[in-house]
Amino acid sequence: MHLTTEEEKMYDGEYGWACQISMRILTRLGDLFSATKLIPIKSAHLSGVSYKTLGDAPIEFLEELAKTAGKARVEVTLNPSSLDPNLTKFSRNKHEKQRQIIGLYKKMGADPTLTCTPYYLKQPLQGFHFAWAESSAVVYANSVLGVYTNREGSPSALAAALVGKTPDYGMHRPENREPAVLVNVETRLRNEAEFGALGIRLGNLLNDKIPLLKGLPKHDNDDLKQLGAAMATAGMTTIFQTGKPVEKTWQEKVSVEREDIENTMESLSTTAEQPDLVFLGCPHCSIEELEEAATFLEGKRVKDNLRLWICTSRWLKEKAENYVNIVEEAGGHVVCDTCAIVTWLRDLGINSVMTNSAKTAYYAPTMNKVDALFASLSECLETACL
Amino acid sequence: MRIRVLKGRTIVLGYCRGTALVAKKPISFLGGVDPNTGTIIEKNHDLEGKKLKDTILCFPHGHGSTVGSYVLYALAKKNLAPKAIVNQTADPVVVVGAIIAEILMVDQIDIRQIRSGDKVEVDGEKGAVKILEKNPCT
Repeated sequence: MHLTTEEEKMYDGEYGWACQISMRILTRLGDLFSATKLIPIKSAHLSGVSYKTLGDAPIEFLEELAKTAGKARVEVTLNPSSLDPNLTKFSRNKHEKQRQIIGLYKKMGADPTLTCTPYYLKQPLQGFHFAWAESSAVVYANSVLGVYTNREGSPSALAAALVGKTPDYGMHRPENREPAVLVNVETRLRNEAEFGALGIRLGNLLNDKIPLLKGLPKHDNDDLKQLGAAMATAGMTTIFQTGKPVEKTWQEKVSVEREDIENTMESLSTTAEQPDLVFLGCPHCSIEELEEAATFLEGKRVKDNLRLWICTSRWLKEKAENYVNIVEEAGGHVVCDTCAIVTWLRDLGINSVMTNSAKTAYYAPTMNKVDALFASLSECLETACL
Repeated sequence: MRIRVLKGRTIVLGYCRGTALVAKKPISFLGGVDPNTGTIIEKNHDLEGKKLKDTILCFPHGHGSTVGSYVLYALAKKNLAPKAIVNQTADPVVVVGAIIAEILMVDQIDIRQIRSGDKVEVDGEKGAVKILEKNPCT
C-alpha cells in the first residue's frame, strides 16, 4: 500500500500509540484485501458499545487508546448501548461499566448517538466514503443511500475514526458493487416482516454475493431496511441492488416463492404463546414507523401483562414528541439508547419477545436466551393491545 | 526425523518455539473463548476445555463478532494468550486481534500437517512454520 508522508509518520508513532496501532490495523487489512492506498472518510460509525455484547475485554484497550492521544479525526457516531438509563434498571456494576465505555468513546471524540440508524440523524451525502460498523446500517447505506462503506468491525471502524481514513478495497470501488446473482421474487411480499423473511432466506443462500432483486412489490425504505438488516444477519451481505436488470447473461439465478417466505417466517418463531415483550425498532425506528405505530395506538390500551417497547434514537424521540405521547398514553414505551438484543432481557423478567424484525427474531433465542415470535408491525401491535 | 517447513505469509512479526495446539474448527473469540481463563468454551468445539496460554495456536480461521479482536487483547494483557497464531486463512477479526495484542501471526499455512503436541518453530520474518519434533503420541 502506498502511504503519504503524514501517514508514514502516523505509522511510525509520531502521533502517539493510538494513531500508530490504528495505522497498523488499517494497513494490514488493506494489504490483505489488496488496497492500494488510504482514502479520506466522512464519518465512522462504531459498533461495540453495549456492555452486554462487549464484556470487560475491550475496556483496557479503549482506555489505552484514549490515554495515548486517540482522538477522532472525523465525525463519529455510536451504536446502541446495553440500557436506557431512564427505563431499564440493572445492577450498579452494569450501569457503571456502560457509562465507562461510552465515556471512553466520548473522550476520543465520538458523539454518543447510541443508535443503529445514524443515517436518520444526518443524511449522509450520496457518493461519500464512510467506515461504518453495524451490518444493518452498512447494507442500508450502500444499497439505499448510495454511499460507500465496507462492513467494518468494531476495531477497524475505530481505527478508521482515529486516522480519518480507510483502505480503498471492497465496497469503496465501484467495480466491486456490481450484482452477481439475479433474484426473482415470484411472490407478493405483504409487509415489512415478509421483506425481512426474504432477507434471511437470501442471506442464507448468497452469503456475500451481491444480488439484484427483481419483482419486488411497491415498497418504502423501511421495507428495504428490514430486508437489508436480515440479509446481513444471515449472510455477509454488504449491498443489494434493486434497479432494472441489465442485459447480461447471469451466471447465477435464484427464485423465491411464496413457500420460501412462509417457511422462513415460520422458522423465525420459536413459540406461539403470548409474549412478555412486544418490540418494534430493530433497526431503530424511522419517523414514519413511529407515526405508523402511534396511529395504531391512538385511543388503545396496552395489555397489563406485557410490555411494549418501540426503540429509536434519542434524537428522533425528541423530534417526535407527539407520537411519543400517544405511545406512552397507551401504556407503551419509546425506548432509546438500546434495543432488545443488546440489553439483558432476562434480567428484566422477559422470556419471550414478539417482533417485526427478522434480525431480532433470528438472534433473540441465542443472544438473549428468549423465545421469539415473528410477525408484522400491525400483528405485533394487535397482540400488544387489549 | 526430517524437519518439515510449511511456508505461509507474515501477518504479525516475531519468532518463537512452542507446542502446537491444533483446531479443526474455526474459532470465535467472542463467546467461544473465556476471556478470564483463556479456555475454549464453545460447545462441541474440538478444542473445548483446552487452554490457549503459551500455545502455538493453529486453526483454519476465525469467525463471529469483531469484538473477538478485543478478547485476544484481553488474553494478552492477562498473560493467557497463545505465543503465536497460525491460520489457514487470515480473517479480519483474528488479524486485528493479533495486531493489537502483539501476538506473532502467520497465515496461508497448511495446518493439517501439524498435530496438537508437535514442537514447532514459528518464524514471522519468513512467514514459515517449522515442525521440529512430532508428537510421539499421535
